[in-house]
Amino acid sequence: MPIKVGDRLPNTTFYVMTPDGPKPKTVDEIFKGKKIVLFGVPGAFTPTCHRNHLPGFIQNAGAIKAKGVDQIAVTSVNDVFVMDAWKNASGADGKIDLFLADGNGDFAKGVGLDVDSTGIGRGIRSRRYSMIVDDGVVKTINVEESAGKAEVSGADNLMTQL
Amino acid sequence: MPIKVGDRVPNATFRIMTAEGPKPKTSDEVFKGKKVALFGMPGAFTGGCHAKHMPTVVQNLDALKAKGVDTVAVTTVNDPFVLAAWQKAIGSDKVELLGDGNIEFAKAIGLTFEGTAIGLGTRSQRYSMLVDDGVVKILNVEQPAKFEVSGGDTLLKQL
Repeated sequence: MPIKVGDRLPNTTFYVMTPDGPKPKTVDEIFKGKKIVLFGVPGAFTPTCHRNHLPGFIQNAGAIKAKGVDQIAVTSVNDVFVMDAWKNASGADGKIDLFLADGNGDFAKGVGLDVDSTGIGRGIRSRRYSMIVDDGVVKTINVEESAGKAEVSGADNLMTQL
Repeated sequence: MPIKVGDRVPNATFRIMTAEGPKPKTSDEVFKGKKVALFGMPGAFTGGCHAKHMPTVVQNLDALKAKGVDTVAVTTVNDPFVLAAWQKAIGSDKVELLGDGNIEFAKAIGLTFEGTAIGLGTRSQRYSMLVDDGVVKILNVEQPAKFEVSGGDTLLKQL
């Protein structure tokens, strides 16, 4: 059931932080007419996400965009306030364009990449993955098997696929 | 059905961040034989919690302890990684942050609210409590979107 190459992203609603506070933004509004690299992580501030996965995309942001990508986005099942704090703490501002808060897990469930992390006290979360999305359609998808790794879903691998 | 004065706090397991990573902490370990000032908040880093509620806890922490409180704690439906980041942001490691990531404690005391409309999922309501050896002695539950009765300063006056 997970989303695959050729599928259109489900039209769920994320929350983004703006100068006027949290605002909803639909998948259509974000992805329409653009080439976007989207990576999903199990949780803001969690070790692999914070030390391995996100930094890789921050470092390679310029190179990724030089290959025709319009925006780089990250999504996690966290609320918009936590995502904003994470953006500020990671120095991602200006490199990662969009921090998409999937607080209710609607997007993660909608793409079939949700995982039950209740056993470690985290409720429903996203799996770790990276995607190239063109005008809302998935062109490439890399789902990490183990949440504690960021290998197939990392920026290095994605760069070879652009 | 929400918890009231005279009730015993339910058994639940929180998750806290330690030097060795996330660890569980049971309500017994938190409350047994101690006087605990517990503040419930909708979310780490969120507007009211971060800008209004938490500062009143940090500012009144020493005064609360001078009046016999053993532990000053805040609980939210967040995981311990987020709470560790919040601990740094609030600038005090004397406030104990109890992660209720599975909403176990908040549901058991009947003080949750639906933040789904603003993408927050199910969260804890805003409140303050004084718990003595596991029994609720004082309870102040805030009305939605307000911040009037649940601050550290109010609880201090009630001690």
